[in-house]
Amino acid sequence: MSGNQVRSMQEINIGDNIGPQPLFLAKDRVRAYCNAAGLAGVPRFTDDEGARKEGLPGMITPGNMSAALIGKLVTDWARPYNGRLVRIGTTYRSPVLPEHNLSLQGFVTQVDHGERTAELDIWIENEDGDRLVTATATVRFP
Amino acid sequence: MTLDYDPAIIGKVFEETDPVAVSAQEIKDFCAAIGETNPWYTDEEAARKGPYGEIVAPPMFVLTFRNGRHFFQNIPRFGKGGFDAGRDVEFVNPVHAGDRITLVSHVKEIYEKTGRSGAMYFVTIRSTVKNQKNEVVAHIDHRFMGRL
Repeated sequence: MSGNQVRSMQEINIGDNIGPQPLFLAKDRVRAYCNAAGLAGVPRFTDDEGARKEGLPGMITPGNMSAALIGKLVTDWARPYNGRLVRIGTTYRSPVLPEHNLSLQGFVTQVDHGERTAELDIWIENEDGDRLVTATATVRFP
Repeated sequence: MTLDYDPAIIGKVFEETDPVAVSAQEIKDFCAAIGETNPWYTDEEAARKGPYGEIVAPPMFVLTFRNGRHFFQNIPRFGKGGFDAGRDVEFVNPVHAGDRITLVSHVKEIYEKTGRSGAMYFVTIRSTVKNQKNEVVAHIDHRFMGRL
């Protein structure tokens, strides 16, 4: 951002950690996402009772909300370098339940100075260390 | 058991949505819900000084277009219904407040695989997201899977 020194991608190394950041998704925050993302009133994402009728343990977080949170972790990490998120691939492995103590984290898996890109592995993990949503992302630097 | 489908559906556009206008307020609401505080996305003054010169949406906003009015109405149906397995997104141009966005979707690939839990099918739907200038904003691969 303006006024701040832009960092060089030369400072980035394979294995650099991204996060971990604690993540606690209150049910009302999940509902706010649903309202903002055209999912208002979808029972599995907004209502415990409705979700149970679909065989779920209670309301779950939309996969795209998890993806958006992962994307934000990447863009927050990339911003000091003026890096731009150019690709992301997410895999929804297990439902993300609201009101759990989750964490968002990842690390740098590859740095390509010729292409001016970095590859990242990012995931959302629960209290037991299970990776619920995993992602790979590519960031391009100026 | 194998999937019963007409191979001619692969690559054929099965849906093109009507354009949807994106408002600055929708971008703000999305940012609030994911905890995004970068003023490039929410504050006109800061956005003017930012890299895009006006309010744009965070990249992951593109995933909100296949919701509400934009579920795949004409998607070919397979098997007994499946799971949402994930997304692959290639970001080409940002979404600006005021853009009118269209999604054009086709079946990219269908395959079957037998793993430890039995036979599964995988379907990838590719949506090309375009703005009112016919510029590509993003390519989104929606991956679905289900049991055979």
